[in-house]
Amino acid sequence: MAAVELKNVRKSFGTVDVIKGVDLTIDKGEFVVFVGASGSGKSTLLRMIAGLETVSDGDILIDGKDVTFAEPSERGIAMVFQSYALYPHMNVYDNIAFNLKLARFGKDEIDKRVKEAARILRLNELLSRSPAQLSGGQRQRVAIGRAIVRNPKVFLFDEPLSNLDAALRVQMRLEIERLHRELGTTMIYVTHDQVEAMTLADRIVALDNGRIQQVGPPLDLYARPNNLFVAGFIGSPKMNLLPAKVLSAADGKATMGLDTSSGTKVDLTTRGASIGDAVTLGVRPETLEVVAAGAAVPAGLTALPARVESVERLGNITYAYLDGGTPEVITVQVMGHSDLQPGQEVQVGLRSDQVHVFDAAGAVMASAVGR
Amino acid sequence: MSSRTAPMRLNLGRFVVFATLAFAVCFYGIPLLWLFIAGTRSEASLLTDPPFALGTWEAFSRTWTNLTTYNNFQILTWAGNSLIYSVGGVLLSLIASIPGGYALAQSEFPGRKLILTLTLIAMITPSTAVVLPIFLELNLLGLSNTYAGLILASGFFPFGVYLTYVYFSTSLPKGVMDSARVDGANRFQLFTRIALPLARPIIALVAFFSFLAIWSNYFLAFVLLSDDKLYNLPVGLTALVSGSGALSNLPSNDVPIKKPEVVLAAILVVLPVLLIFMAAQRFVRSGMLSGAEKG
Repeated sequence: MAAVELKNVRKSFGTVDVIKGVDLTIDKGEFVVFVGASGSGKSTLLRMIAGLETVSDGDILIDGKDVTFAEPSERGIAMVFQSYALYPHMNVYDNIAFNLKLARFGKDEIDKRVKEAARILRLNELLSRSPAQLSGGQRQRVAIGRAIVRNPKVFLFDEPLSNLDAALRVQMRLEIERLHRELGTTMIYVTHDQVEAMTLADRIVALDNGRIQQVGPPLDLYARPNNLFVAGFIGSPKMNLLPAKVLSAADGKATMGLDTSSGTKVDLTTRGASIGDAVTLGVRPETLEVVAAGAAVPAGLTALPARVESVERLGNITYAYLDGGTPEVITVQVMGHSDLQPGQEVQVGLRSDQVHVFDAAGAVMASAVGR
Repeated sequence: MSSRTAPMRLNLGRFVVFATLAFAVCFYGIPLLWLFIAGTRSEASLLTDPPFALGTWEAFSRTWTNLTTYNNFQILTWAGNSLIYSVGGVLLSLIASIPGGYALAQSEFPGRKLILTLTLIAMITPSTAVVLPIFLELNLLGLSNTYAGLILASGFFPFGVYLTYVYFSTSLPKGVMDSARVDGANRFQLFTRIALPLARPIIALVAFFSFLAIWSNYFLAFVLLSDDKLYNLPVGLTALVSGSGALSNLPSNDVPIKKPEVVLAAILVVLPVLLIFMAAQRFVRSGMLSGAEKG
């Protein structure tokens, strides 16, 4: 049975539609991550599942039971908030025990569960402290502890790591991943950080403008984005998106002319293109190659003349930002060290079997890497 | 290591600022200072010595005895009455305004805006304007000239509702309330277990303002109370002063209430307010919410 089911769920604030019909089924034990930019509706959707926002239309089922109109506490969920939302007037122990006390558990049972949660989250030493005396990471662990003791059917995380510094974020990410492995509970996690999404999720739900854009395993979304939004959102550094025009199309082959001063032409395998169509070509930075100006380009690569704008050297990886006459700079990822210099004239090699093609509406078209 | 500060240079702008401040301190501070010093002086000293001459212990204790024992310790009865009216009124105004302000801040219901507007109107209406209708109302209920009547009338404190409303709509972290809802707190528990413990500063503030208003309330008490055993301090003292002729140049009589006694009585009215302020301001500093959310 599905742990959580959303059926044509909608939400509007006055005349503004925030969630425009979402259908989604989340399996038991699954770790699902909602990603999207701010305003995409991901947090609203999570708060609707939690019962903190009303549902304008549609149904929400948890564990097969219709909870569309149920109180948050009746849904069998626990939630961890971005702001931690600890009770400032209670110490750590009471923060974790609060929901058990409200549910009228016995003293011994409460003590047992709080100690167990404290053990899992390594909070034993901190139980008598007040939230003000804790660091950000400790506060978030307390917030998670408060969620664990309820034995919820579903954990909801609303950007739980975005208030933490980078190092702590990595550590807490691993901790949440470990928690999911140990507890095996269904988890729904909202983030705008696509690294968190890629590393934690069994499935990612990419949301934009109140609609689901694509649902699938992280690498699926990375390798086969359904549309321009997902292509641009998943992956860091971002996929290069190059505007182009269809110059010729026949028998599943097409020639695209890039909108650049050089007028570079790219031959591709694609279906459904017709001459004159405006398209967008999507190329991941790691599939591009930098070739010295004037040098012969290896077979299978289309060369685009470009000038190096800037270079970022991270030690193991180098990112080069090139001006190829396209509206946006082209990002190229070079493994290891590279001696590229700003101002240098080079050629960018596009691998035609690694080019995603999107039509004017942003939907993906069949190509060698598409579907 | 000592911190270095730039040497203070006196320019014209700074001089004007300091001069203005010094004037304000003197203008408003001197009467208070005079009041406390004058309480220790004899009537003769008040008339002949320089304004800030210190009195004697003997003079002070004689004044004290004159004032407190006059008319069978009447002033102590009035002080006791004032305390009863204030404590009762403060409790009543807290019971009404804290939940009222919370409800206005935290829930959406039809008529909410209207209630807020009415609260504001009630707040800016001078309390003396409604004294007569309140008197008629209490008279009808048979409550005029009773403790309960004055307490009931003083518990009406729209300013407290408004203060609480502002506090709960700005200082109560939304995440904390959401979190408590997920934890299973019902509406009543949200208020009693989360909002109320976090509202200590505002409770202290409302209590203080309400106390101030009731303790020094003259007109309402004057209209409602006709039995001098029920008088509060302001009404009682006015009666005392006008009855004894202490401040008018009537021919001398044998009532022992003279100028020093009047000064001491004024101190008795001011002192509790000062003491309560010192006790309450500690709570008013809001440090309660740190650590709830990012911080």
